[in-house]
Amino acid sequence: MRTDLVIVAVVVGLGTWLFRFLPIRLRGMSEVRSTRLTRALESIGPAAIVTLFIASVLPDLAGGTQDLLPFLIGCVATVIAFLIKRNVGLATMAGALAYGVAFAVLRG
Amino acid sequence: MRRQQLRDAAPPAIDGAVGEATLVDGIRASVPIVVGYFPIAFSFGVAATRFGFSAFEAVFLSVVIYSGASQFMALTLLSGGASVIVSIVTLLTMNLRHVLYGPSLLDRADTRAQTRHSWAWAYGLTDEVFATTIGFLAGASKGWSEWFMLGIGAAAFLSWVSGTAAGAFAGGGALAAYPAVEAALGFMLPALFLSLLLAILNRREIPVVTTAGVVCAGVTLATNVTSGILAGMIAGALVGIARFGQAPEEEVV
Repeated sequence: MRTDLVIVAVVVGLGTWLFRFLPIRLRGMSEVRSTRLTRALESIGPAAIVTLFIASVLPDLAGGTQDLLPFLIGCVATVIAFLIKRNVGLATMAGALAYGVAFAVLRG
Repeated sequence: MRRQQLRDAAPPAIDGAVGEATLVDGIRASVPIVVGYFPIAFSFGVAATRFGFSAFEAVFLSVVIYSGASQFMALTLLSGGASVIVSIVTLLTMNLRHVLYGPSLLDRADTRAQTRHSWAWAYGLTDEVFATTIGFLAGASKGWSEWFMLGIGAAAFLSWVSGTAAGAFAGGGALAAYPAVEAALGFMLPALFLSLLLAILNRREIPVVTTAGVVCAGVTLATNVTSGILAGMIAGALVGIARFGQAPEEEVV
């Protein structure tokens, strides 16, 4: 195995784990918390979800490597399925299925 | 009084929760991630072999780094001759956003949430696991638990690693004959994020979500996806603070 690959993987893997783990550990050790920090942390969840959604579609849409119509059909199907069933898993599957069908039909 | 103000402002994550979520609840919640991860990891395995890495090296990267976007970047950097230092700094910068996930999650779970085994489940605290757990807490009748985190994290991890292995060993032709299936699988993660957004969205979150989305889109188009995600999350957090302008300074928990 390539030495540079092993070094990069181990250091980045360790660093990423520390990014995920240390804030949890340090939070448990702290007794004094800022209210502003608490409110910032509460808002990060919704902010992260919307940014991850945008980041997962925007580069391909803007770059022209993803067609707009299947994307819109997939999104509409996801929203409708969620409003009917209130289930994240089912809505995700319905959106992906609708996207795949729209893709197949439009590509003929 | 200050405590009461804070409680009133907090999301109703586990109000009315009966019992703790189990390992099986975590595995069940992981299904959209598992289905969404596999094709992306498959693509990573294919890409790794195309860049000249062995199947074993591809799986090694998935097991040790376990962070999708930075793994693809690692292939580009390592095959392009970038130095080890530059590669490490670039990839760690891409993953810096993960420092926000653990504290944010625990704030929504419970201030007394157990974290004894966080060294284990934190390893699997990816973007998707974080987002799905937030969605679970918003809608579930059960409370957060470390077993839930281990279940959702382990299932997602196994999907990622097995997808990488399948892609590395099968090569690029496996899904080439089924472009619609490949397209549908590629839409799994966007659909998952959209579903999670619908699950957590309420009137209180609209300013945060709108600001984060606009900032993320602008920065992504102007620079890159990693900067866009980080900028959007920070902007959302700042709006979260600003909405409660009369907030007290410090509080002892």
